[in-house]
Amino acid sequence: MLHIKPILVALKRHKAGTILIAMQIALTLAIVCNALFIIDQRLDRIARPTGLDESNLVIIRNRWVGVTDEATGPLIHGDVQALRQLPGVQDAISINSYPLAGGGWSTGVRVNVDDKKSKAHTTLYFSDEHMLPTMGARLIAGRNFTPDEVTDAKANAVDTPAVIIITKALAHDLFPDGSALGKSVYVSDTKKPSTIVGIVERMQVPWNSSWADAWAENAVFQPYVLMYSGNVLLIRTKPGQQDAVMKSAPEMLFKLNRMRVFPKENGVRTFANQRESIYKRDRGMAILMGVVCLVLLGITAAGIVGLTSFWVGQRRKQIGVRRALGATKRDILSYFLTENLLIGTVGVLIGALMAIGMNLWLVTQFEMARLSLAYVAIGVVALLLLGQGAVLAPAMRASRVQPVEATRSV
Amino acid sequence: MLKMTHLSKVYRTEVVETYALRDFNINVNEGEFVAVTGPSGSGKTTFLTIAGLLETFTGGQYHLDGVEVSNLNDNERSRIRNEKIGFIFQAFNLIPDLNVFDNVEVPLRYRGMKAPERKQRIMDALERVGLASRAKHYPAELSGGQQQRVAIARALAGSPRLLLADEPTGNLDTQMARGVMELLEEIHREGATIVMVTHDPELAARAQRNVHIIDGQVVDLAEDPRFHHAVHAARANSPA
Repeated sequence: MLHIKPILVALKRHKAGTILIAMQIALTLAIVCNALFIIDQRLDRIARPTGLDESNLVIIRNRWVGVTDEATGPLIHGDVQALRQLPGVQDAISINSYPLAGGGWSTGVRVNVDDKKSKAHTTLYFSDEHMLPTMGARLIAGRNFTPDEVTDAKANAVDTPAVIIITKALAHDLFPDGSALGKSVYVSDTKKPSTIVGIVERMQVPWNSSWADAWAENAVFQPYVLMYSGNVLLIRTKPGQQDAVMKSAPEMLFKLNRMRVFPKENGVRTFANQRESIYKRDRGMAILMGVVCLVLLGITAAGIVGLTSFWVGQRRKQIGVRRALGATKRDILSYFLTENLLIGTVGVLIGALMAIGMNLWLVTQFEMARLSLAYVAIGVVALLLLGQGAVLAPAMRASRVQPVEATRSV
Repeated sequence: MLKMTHLSKVYRTEVVETYALRDFNINVNEGEFVAVTGPSGSGKTTFLTIAGLLETFTGGQYHLDGVEVSNLNDNERSRIRNEKIGFIFQAFNLIPDLNVFDNVEVPLRYRGMKAPERKQRIMDALERVGLASRAKHYPAELSGGQQQRVAIARALAGSPRLLLADEPTGNLDTQMARGVMELLEEIHREGATIVMVTHDPELAARAQRNVHIIDGQVVDLAEDPRFHHAVHAARANSPA
């Protein structure tokens, strides 16, 4: 507090440098706050649990060639039966999609037959009674499907099943005040009810983009084996057998029927590969934002070091005079630290407003989430600390100026 | 007040040692006005910087106001400079970003003095040098003589035990120099101890006592006949 007034007076006479650094700090704060917020959102998205038991899971995208959807039924059953017999395989299913697949089915669910609007949005997963064990889904209430409840269904004419299993998140959306187990709901625009026979703790939708964020864990499991020429084979391997199954399963499937292709890029992969690939953009964006933040912070720190070093050089004689008049080394150090703190404070105040303004613009233009003020608070503290850190070396250099400098001619 | 005994100051480089002061002895009593004279490079300024604790010395002893200063640390030296010594520099050394009031305030702030007392002392000091009306002016808005008066006010505001003046009129024209010199004499008459470094025999003649330095040692003024005569001539022409 000792030097605030004379420092402010002196700064008024060095407006250009002061404003430049304050604005640099402000702009850095605004960009860094929003960038860190975006990074955190992306990391949160990447860290979301899928509900799958992700280890020991192999995915095969199967494309039948020259086979109509209707004719795929026996072929798919044959594949699945053979896979379940394959050494190293614990279980296997044919399914329409899976979490983080990137594409799948979605629809609305009504609670009453006459409801005009859906109560909740959901994705649909179709497979047989092996679906939950193969996916590694945890049943927290009710039961799994029984084999006699499972039927084949045409991909373009899926009927309404009598029984369904849903996720806890969807159950909460549909029946926020009580248990969903045993209740009837109407999936899509059908008038035929489906009874909820089981509730699964969690299963993510196939999409990782923000449009599905609001219903990211809403899923309905239906006991259908979809007759579809572009099915997915999900294989749960025994521990340690994943690599072996990735080789043996495609070979065996080709032996069974050669009229198929597995896309070269992503035909056969582990779930870990799929996760890696689906979040590539998010991870890339987070890294890019992180680099932008680091570069900006580096430039700002360099700007502070540069300007302070220039000022120290310019005021060398003045520092000597102050020392001659009784300033201790600590007084000189504190002069430059306080000076930086004052410029930094102006910068972060403007920057905080700019950060909020920038976020509001992003919210309206790109449907981004509202910036938490905690980011602004952390950003303010970080920028002030960065400023103090950056100014420390030139300030210490200043404090080492000897009082005898006062007697030297310039 | 100021006593240096067998004091030496050596500047060392890798190849050469230069004695700025050698076996230097001086004793300034309280209330004295001493002019330290000597040709360029004789060691006058080195003496002044050591006397003002702006620089350390290599050997010997230096007692300032009864305190042996060679073992003081940097903070203690700063405190003594602040409380006991008032500096008047040839180039005034005012801080250009601060106005007259704030310039005079600088040493008082480092003393941790409360604002009302600071204000009182600053206004008294500015009154003393006849510049109270210029308190809000910046150094660049003042003449050289006025700037030196501000520097004297800054030196006086802290009520120092010793005033050290380094060629205080060196950057002033004759008329301004006379005004500043008269002010110093007035301050001395009021009881201040002043040590003034100068190469000007006329200024030296106005001091109570002359200490002449040649090659880093105090010598009898008679050893520098030209300067000796100049000082005598100045004294003879002095109105006092």
